[in-house]
Amino acid sequence: MMLSRTADHLFWMARQMERAENLARLLDVSLAVSMLPQSRGGSADIAAPLALTGMLETYLDRHDAIDARRVLHFMAYDSANPASILSSLKAARDNAHAVRGKITAEMWMSINATWLEARELAAAGGDFQGFFDWVKERSHLFRGATHGTCQRTDAFSFIRLGTYLERADNTARLLDVKSQLLGREDDDSPDYHAWSALLRAVGAFEAYHALYRDALSGRRVAELLLLRPDMPRSLRACFDEIRKWLERLESDNGRPAKRLATELQAALAYSTVDEIFAEGLHPYLTRMLGDIDRLGGTVQRAYLEAA
Amino acid sequence: MHALTLPERGHFDEMLLQSGAVRSQYQGFSEWLQAQSPEVLHRKREEANQLFHRVGITFSVYGDDAGAERLIPFDTIPRIVPAAEWQTLEVGLKQRVRALNAFLHDIYHDHEIVKAGVIPAGPVFGNAQYQPMMQDVDLPDRIYAHIAGVDIIRHADGGCYVLEDNLRVPSGVSYMLENRKMMMRLFPELFARHAVAPVDHYPALLLDTLRKASRVANPTVVVLTPGHFNSAYFEHAFLAQQMGVELVEGRDLFVRDDHVYMRTTAGHKRVDVIYRRIDDTFLDPLAFRPDSLLGVPGLMSVYRQGKVVLTNAIGTGVADDKSIYPYVPAMIRFYLDEEPILSNVETWLCREPEQLDYVLRHLPELVVKEVHGAGGYGMLIGPAATRAEIDAFRARLIADPAGYIAQPTLCLSSCPTFVEGGIAPRHIDLRPFVLSSGQDIKLVAGGLTRVALKAGSLVVNSSQGGGTKDTWVLED
Amino acid sequence: MKLAIRHETVYRYDSPARRSTQTLRMTPRDSAHQRIASWRLTLPGPASAHVDGFGNAVHLMTLDAPHEEIRLLAEGVVETQGGGWHDDAGRLDPRVFCRATALTRPDDAIRALARAAADAHPAAPLDALAALSAAVLAAMPYTPGRTDAATGAAAALALGAGVCQDHTQVFLAACRALGHPARYVSGYLLNDDADHAASHAWAEVWQDGAWHGFDISNQRAPDAHHLKLAVGLDYLDACPVRGVRLGGDGERLAARADVRPLEQ
Repeated sequence: MMLSRTADHLFWMARQMERAENLARLLDVSLAVSMLPQSRGGSADIAAPLALTGMLETYLDRHDAIDARRVLHFMAYDSANPASILSSLKAARDNAHAVRGKITAEMWMSINATWLEARELAAAGGDFQGFFDWVKERSHLFRGATHGTCQRTDAFSFIRLGTYLERADNTARLLDVKSQLLGREDDDSPDYHAWSALLRAVGAFEAYHALYRDALSGRRVAELLLLRPDMPRSLRACFDEIRKWLERLESDNGRPAKRLATELQAALAYSTVDEIFAEGLHPYLTRMLGDIDRLGGTVQRAYLEAA
Repeated sequence: MHALTLPERGHFDEMLLQSGAVRSQYQGFSEWLQAQSPEVLHRKREEANQLFHRVGITFSVYGDDAGAERLIPFDTIPRIVPAAEWQTLEVGLKQRVRALNAFLHDIYHDHEIVKAGVIPAGPVFGNAQYQPMMQDVDLPDRIYAHIAGVDIIRHADGGCYVLEDNLRVPSGVSYMLENRKMMMRLFPELFARHAVAPVDHYPALLLDTLRKASRVANPTVVVLTPGHFNSAYFEHAFLAQQMGVELVEGRDLFVRDDHVYMRTTAGHKRVDVIYRRIDDTFLDPLAFRPDSLLGVPGLMSVYRQGKVVLTNAIGTGVADDKSIYPYVPAMIRFYLDEEPILSNVETWLCREPEQLDYVLRHLPELVVKEVHGAGGYGMLIGPAATRAEIDAFRARLIADPAGYIAQPTLCLSSCPTFVEGGIAPRHIDLRPFVLSSGQDIKLVAGGLTRVALKAGSLVVNSSQGGGTKDTWVLED
Repeated sequence: MKLAIRHETVYRYDSPARRSTQTLRMTPRDSAHQRIASWRLTLPGPASAHVDGFGNAVHLMTLDAPHEEIRLLAEGVVETQGGGWHDDAGRLDPRVFCRATALTRPDDAIRALARAAADAHPAAPLDALAALSAAVLAAMPYTPGRTDAATGAAAALALGAGVCQDHTQVFLAACRALGHPARYVSGYLLNDDADHAASHAWAEVWQDGAWHGFDISNQRAPDAHHLKLAVGLDYLDACPVRGVRLGGDGERLAARADVRPLEQ
């Protein structure tokens, strides 16, 4: 048992930290792609982070052109952009601050130091590559501090729920945006750089080659990122976790959330990539994003609503 | 070797005599200090700063940039109180708080002390801190101020005086606890050489006090905070964590069926005792300020019915008001039939014409304070003020005499303190924390020592550049 | 005089309110002035009764299921006397009623009004208060719709218009500026004039050890036509309904109070 508001802060602390990491991964890859020649889709890719976070309009209000450096700066360092890495780290830290007494000193120190240093790095406006690596590392550190010091109470469950809901949302969104950029979603025509960028963004590049030992194809990438239970950023893995952590919460008021999570997890566990492509990857992912959103709302109402 | 600047003439120094000789309670510390290299001590101070920063013992200063946080400076030279002196203080504090609680019960029931003419009605019933909503509320054990922080200063004559009673939401106890932890971490050898009375059981005593405040058998206790933008949020979170109770905000609580509940992930849970760190007027928008978003609608109704306990009670502010302060010794005589053990600082009430007259004639020597002011704001320190400042203040005084009191300029005692370029005397005060329940009144041996870090300054408030020290009460 | 009262208050919301908490001061108390023959509240949710610090009967009502409407009905029969006001001094010290509140903070205009009345009757405080009451109404004739529940005394006087609540609060601010304890009274008035609401407010001032009533809007002393519900420092302390809600945009209020004399 814990305060609903505390659970809400823990949940969003984890979500925002995960969001910062995901964004660093995506921008990292965008940076790499932006260095490719135009013909290989450089500029479309650099707009992807804006599309993904719904910040394209806000960006265009302030900048006249989509330009790699400016996009990266806007998405990484700009505190006026609520979707930037800096803003996510601040939101994560503010949520942690609000429940300072409910997380371990090591978790607090990690997340607070991350924010303090991020602020300085952003102000200095230094090299992006280094910043993205640093963000991923700080996220790992925080996750490690959480895993290594946080008591396995409901607090831990809400932190985990936040992480995996955010990750599920991110993976689905990323796959959706990239596959649309690549044109027809069921087209297996290899576009090596784009698919490899996506795989690298979710840290699955090596895994792909180990598993498939084959050229990159959209169908296989989708299978890997949607259905493989052993890929830590796949939707399937995320839903396995979401279901597990929801199950651990004792209380009757969470039944709708538990039921929905179980349904979604089962659907993923018993789907094939052929079925998904028969439905169409984009419609499937649109439906999936709706479900993830619905689950988030159900969790919110069942446990987190302080109002 | 450390060169210690000698105390100012005419001031009492806790460690040194005017001759430079060391007082007996500081003998051991002084020997130890002289054996330390300045570099090592400097490094320890840096370490302390870093540690405090990392654990987030910071507070936001009013008027600074939104959310700006900074550290309250911590000084590593402790204030040492001999056992015998503490015993007197302890007895005196208990007596004082007992009388203040009796006063609060009286003015919210039969008004005996006013009817007897011991305290005039004006500063009681005309006081904005007097809450009519509290008339005839019967509190368990008649305790209003469960937690009191009493500010004590030592004057040039060596005697201790009560400067102020804090009965609303006294803060600072977290610094008392963290300062001790820090000292034990930095200088364990010092604690081997001195029998320093422990303070770390304060959270347990506090929890015990809060639980006893309720008539319910196994009460659920929570700490109510205005939220993490409040300057004392760290302390709210710290105390809740140390006591193992929930730290709640107003929006976590709601009223239903005559009780207060908190929203939890497992549904609603009844709350019996609220250790609130929110001012009276923000507690319930249906009883006080209708625009308050920090409180709990309906709380006052539940409270009046005795279905929830607030610590401290609503309306305690009238008893720690500066216009009531001069009457505390009379209260002790009236309710306890005892002579006050601790003295008040001599105080002129500007609401009284002849006292105002005296004050106006002696402004350059006096400290004049707003009756309702806090945190060292809105005061005149005569000897430190310019001609123009005094004239400006004179005009304010004449316009609203009842809004001010005056006191002699006190020579707060000093204590050696690390400053740029060595160790020099800086002025200090002391805030012990007194916990009252029906059975007994308790306090841990110690308190928060605040230190004015500017040379010659008498303003110890952290909001105005004050720092803190560990307070050692030596055991016999 | 035997009076039958029916007071219905309905709040409606464009979007449902998720939770409402209200304190209701809709129950008159027995006194020498008024004997309650019967009284009943009909409320949409559970309510608990208690007495507040001013001695008023209060119900605390909480609704925590979504609702688009709150309907409150108070009805009963009360027998009133012309006098009998002096026995409900309460346990509070009258000097509590010397303080200014947010709604009764005096400005220079209010102080001037107070001073003029006091100077005109230096030896007769009650006459001065009657003059003050007349001056307040003259300065702000009864005009519905110009002020609302949040309008403070100084603002209302500056508008030169107001209803009984505003008249009372300006009068209170002026009395307190003169150092007289003065309190707000909310209640009902049996009125032949249909333009005036039966829900009413007037003031009481402490003089010579007793409370004296001043119905400023009607320029008379409260009598058997007046029925007292609650007292306080200002409107907020004494008003029939004070509430806080979560959600529930677009609040619309319809209140109707009927007071009619019963045949003896």
